[in-house]
Amino acid sequence: MKRTGLHLLIVVLLCAVSTGIRAGIDVFTCEPEWAALVSEVGGEHVNASSATTALQDVHHIQARPSLIARLRKADLLICTGAGLEEGWLPVLQRRANNPRVRKGAVGYLEAAQYVDLLDRPARLDRSEGDIHPEGNPHIQLDPRNILSIAEVITERLAAIDPTNAEDYRAGLEVFANRWGEAIQQWEVAARPLKGMPVVVHHNSWVYLQNWLGFEVVGILEPKPGIPPSSTHLKQLLNQLDQRRARMVIRSAYQNARASDWLSQRAGIPAVLLPSTVGGTEVASDLFGLFQDIVQRLLEAAQ
Amino acid sequence: MNPEGLDISILGPAFVAGLLVLSTHVPLGRQVLARGIIFIDLAIAQIAGLGVIAAHAFGWEPGGWSVQVAAFATALVGAFSLYWCEQRWPEVQEAIIGTVFIVAASAGVLMLAGNPHAGDHLKDLMVGQILWVDYQQLSLVALLYAVVLLLWFMSIKTGRQLLFYLLFALTVTASVQLVGIYLVFASLIIPALTVRHAGKHALWIAYCLGAVGYALGLSVSALFDAPAGPAIVLILALLAVFFHTTRKLVSPA
Repeated sequence: MKRTGLHLLIVVLLCAVSTGIRAGIDVFTCEPEWAALVSEVGGEHVNASSATTALQDVHHIQARPSLIARLRKADLLICTGAGLEEGWLPVLQRRANNPRVRKGAVGYLEAAQYVDLLDRPARLDRSEGDIHPEGNPHIQLDPRNILSIAEVITERLAAIDPTNAEDYRAGLEVFANRWGEAIQQWEVAARPLKGMPVVVHHNSWVYLQNWLGFEVVGILEPKPGIPPSSTHLKQLLNQLDQRRARMVIRSAYQNARASDWLSQRAGIPAVLLPSTVGGTEVASDLFGLFQDIVQRLLEAAQ
Repeated sequence: MNPEGLDISILGPAFVAGLLVLSTHVPLGRQVLARGIIFIDLAIAQIAGLGVIAAHAFGWEPGGWSVQVAAFATALVGAFSLYWCEQRWPEVQEAIIGTVFIVAASAGVLMLAGNPHAGDHLKDLMVGQILWVDYQQLSLVALLYAVVLLLWFMSIKTGRQLLFYLLFALTVTASVQLVGIYLVFASLIIPALTVRHAGKHALWIAYCLGAVGYALGLSVSALFDAPAGPAIVLILALLAVFFHTTRKLVSPA
């Protein structure tokens, strides 16, 4: 009896030690795309997990104990920033109280600081109801942004874990080559989408629009979470009478009802697009994400 | 299973928040049940939220204190109006409260359509999340609740019609921000409902039931990595059913 107890103790201690010295950098990301990206660059040296999934609205998440625990042991935090996680990241940071990932530390990375933000309001006026005064935060939908952020991530990883710095730089090079080729292929395939008029559910596709060159002729729900007024819907339908859109786009986490309504009224297809990794089955990594977006847009455009 | 979340420094503040909320909600909840005005907490919380949106509409800068002043002041005005209604039309008080809730909620959506920014503050106000609380926040609420409890138990002998509404407004406006509307409703109603025939020690049984519910709910939430608020609500309800059935078995009368 006594010996079993001792054995048990040893096993428990070994487990504790092995989890304690488990190799690798712990990366906490707010969104799945950054977890996917840091894994592309860091490979087996990083353990990345995302606080949200592709099927959640990133603006609001439910507090789970593991979120605090994960942020506590994180060496690197990667979030979009630009106000996207304003509703929960500050409180989570306060509760986790981890100096390695505090704002300003080398382990704190806001991706939006390293790309040019679109939709930046010319003047700050609350009455306009700008949810994001810093600019539109949905930057992951332009693959060229992904590449610039991969470079920043690589440098941060190298600074946090200098012994493996060469591996991170090599990982970046492999990724950058594959990514560059993929971008070219997607751009060739998506040529027919240039100038195509579309309606979007919410204004979260500006970076994709900027990259592929389609044209947004209407927005179903201009203010997120506030149902559109009947005047707005009427105007939208009138607008579509004059200039027909080819499709209405929504994200995997948005309710289908609004876009289905417009789809029936205006007689155009409603298209679901993954807005990040995990949004659809094909979008299981960053390559799949953009492949699926382009594929779905092309199918609906036929 | 996920034992890493089972950490006292993570769950501790949340549990203390739960105990604080229970301290006021259990006695007030028994009063709510006795008066048959179950939805008063929803109505008060919604009115407080409306105050915050209105403050935005009047151009107040959003910030800690002004938002709180707007919330508490509107909640008190709302409580006073509900008291007045009860004096005039006591037989339909529950219906009036339900109507006030839905009117305040709709008015909020209408006002938000002009100013979505206020929506963030409204959400902060209505959907407080128990895991995010820290001890500094708790000390302020503890102070408020100490005053509320003192006034409440001191006034047992004298009448406390108006006092009930005012204390209720203060209590709920604070607790909704701390733990969210679902937990407020659950802490108010479930323990009080469970012990309604428990006799002399009803208040203490209700306190224990609530405390066990929060402790178990938080542990379940940590072990299964589930959102904490809903987990606690479900455990509280299960405990209530368990308590009720076992009591029946012990004393079938």
